[in-house]
Amino acid sequence: MHLARDVDTTLSDARGRAQALQQEVAKVILGQERVIQLLTIATFARGHVLLEGDVGVGKTTLLRAMARAIGGLFQRVEGTVDLMPGDLIYHAHLTKEGKPRIDPGPLLRSGNDLSIFFFNEINRARPQVHSLLLRLMAERSITAFDREFNFPFLQVFADRNRVEREETFELPAAARDRFFMEIEIPVPSDEATRRRLVFDPRFHDIDALIAEVGEGVLDFTELPFIARAIQSGVRTSEALEAYTVALWQAVRTPNRHGIEIEGVDMERLVFGGASPRGVSYLVRAARVRAWLEGREMVVPEDIRDVFVEVMAHRIFLDPVYELRREPIVRALCRAVFDKVPTP
Amino acid sequence: MPAHLVLALIAVLASGEAAAQVRAVELMGPRPFGYFIGDVIHLEVELAVDEPFTFEPASLPRPRPISYWLDLKSAALHDRGSRGGLHRYRLALDYQTFYAPLEPRALEIPGFSLTVTDGTRQVDANVPGWTFLMSPLREILPRGGEPLYLREDIGAVPIPVRTRFAVAIASGIISTLLLGLLAYHRAWWPFARRGKRPFARAARAVRQALREGSGVEAYRAGLLSLHRAFDATAGRAVLADDLPAFLESAPAFRPLGTDISRFFQVSRRAFFQADAAGAQADLPPTALIGLGARLAEAERIAS
Repeated sequence: MHLARDVDTTLSDARGRAQALQQEVAKVILGQERVIQLLTIATFARGHVLLEGDVGVGKTTLLRAMARAIGGLFQRVEGTVDLMPGDLIYHAHLTKEGKPRIDPGPLLRSGNDLSIFFFNEINRARPQVHSLLLRLMAERSITAFDREFNFPFLQVFADRNRVEREETFELPAAARDRFFMEIEIPVPSDEATRRRLVFDPRFHDIDALIAEVGEGVLDFTELPFIARAIQSGVRTSEALEAYTVALWQAVRTPNRHGIEIEGVDMERLVFGGASPRGVSYLVRAARVRAWLEGREMVVPEDIRDVFVEVMAHRIFLDPVYELRREPIVRALCRAVFDKVPTP
Repeated sequence: MPAHLVLALIAVLASGEAAAQVRAVELMGPRPFGYFIGDVIHLEVELAVDEPFTFEPASLPRPRPISYWLDLKSAALHDRGSRGGLHRYRLALDYQTFYAPLEPRALEIPGFSLTVTDGTRQVDANVPGWTFLMSPLREILPRGGEPLYLREDIGAVPIPVRTRFAVAIASGIISTLLLGLLAYHRAWWPFARRGKRPFARAARAVRQALREGSGVEAYRAGLLSLHRAFDATAGRAVLADDLPAFLESAPAFRPLGTDISRFFQVSRRAFFQADAAGAQADLPPTALIGLGARLAEAERIAS
């Protein structure tokens, strides 16, 4: 009983801080309230995030602001064609004295307290690097120098731009599946926001802008505990479980649920994917959203709100449709929610 | 109309006192001759009595066969009110004669007596008989061989019913059509499965579910029927957060907005908080049935 009340107070306290986090970040990132909310959900679900968007929409700025507000140590690495897994782990160089020397690389430099690891332009890195990330993301540990390093508070943010396709390496399905969310960052649609972004000098100096964000709104060492409390404290009912399973079925076999998309052969559209891990992530995200909304129960709206970000990148289409992937997957997700009845 | 023949103006005096009670008994009849078998004879009796005497209704002659040839068909009394200390009555009598005389013959409708009373005393007023002459219809022995007197019955004349028949059939067809339209409008059988009337169907389903069971399951089934109707109306699954968009696309339901939003809250509680009992307290089954009916009505108005 005592413990239960403790969990409740922890959760409501943390909710206040989560809102503060969103407000802090929204101060410097204009017109991206939805993305900020999704990032907050991912943070409190302890999930890694892949950001996608055009060049110069503020992906890096957003992540730096988030990292500053969450607190803890922050490392970043730029993806390049010649980046090798070792470059993340150690740094080999010659000292002033001319002796070869090996220092810890970006991953190991900060030790266990690393809270945010930001991988810029992840699709420029080679598959070898991706596979190192696989383990890092799944287990929050790596093996180096013959011993294991743990990063209990680690959250990986990665971004990729979708403009270039040359000299890039598409992420393998296994790596994409390990990302909790794949968030698309749109250009702000509101005209006033656009004007401010372009003409207000405040948004020109990124470092000064980031410095405006309050540091350490959250205690990042508490995050794993809060995340566990959310997952155990927010209930899912039988009806919601049935609904989620029905959604999953509908995504995997859309033709059996009477879903039609123009110009698409529904028989062969979905090739695979929507893994059980993906669906469990979906429920995790939905629980966090319900908690953010101040509810103790998950409702279908929670599932729907996070569905595209959590599930879309786990749906693998027939290669024929892969080029038109984005509109098709969006239409599929919308149709699934239109067709599957609830409760 | 022939002048009434005053046949008698009699004051029968049994005693001086009785004479004082019944002032006049006057019998009026039609002509006293030229009657054939089957004729109806209309007689009227004027009666005047002193107040406070009144006519005793029990003494009114009863319509009946009076003798083998004479029937009293009807007898009716008209109270003509009192004036100058006299209370006047008029008695209308219809006799029918069935006498078949071989030659003209005088017959008499027998007299009778009426009773007047003031509550304690009873006095009789005697109506005299009425004599008249009946004639035969034909001579005793017909001379010719012709069956002169026995004619054939008039043939049956068909009543012209063609128009009425047509009107009846037309109104029958129109009524069936109107009934069909009404059934279509209210989505009765056989239009019960009509796609455009999901709420009419849902309202029925809710009523049925809550009639057949009273537990949590029945209540949930009722909620589900309404949910499916919302889905069918919107053409997609409607969640609680979609309500504003739904009301935007289906303005007919806007007046019920608060009730619908309450319904969604209750449903959320019943299904996702697993608190069907609390939900039932919030929106009792009767209210749920009522909401279904109102939604069906709104849907009807909209179409």
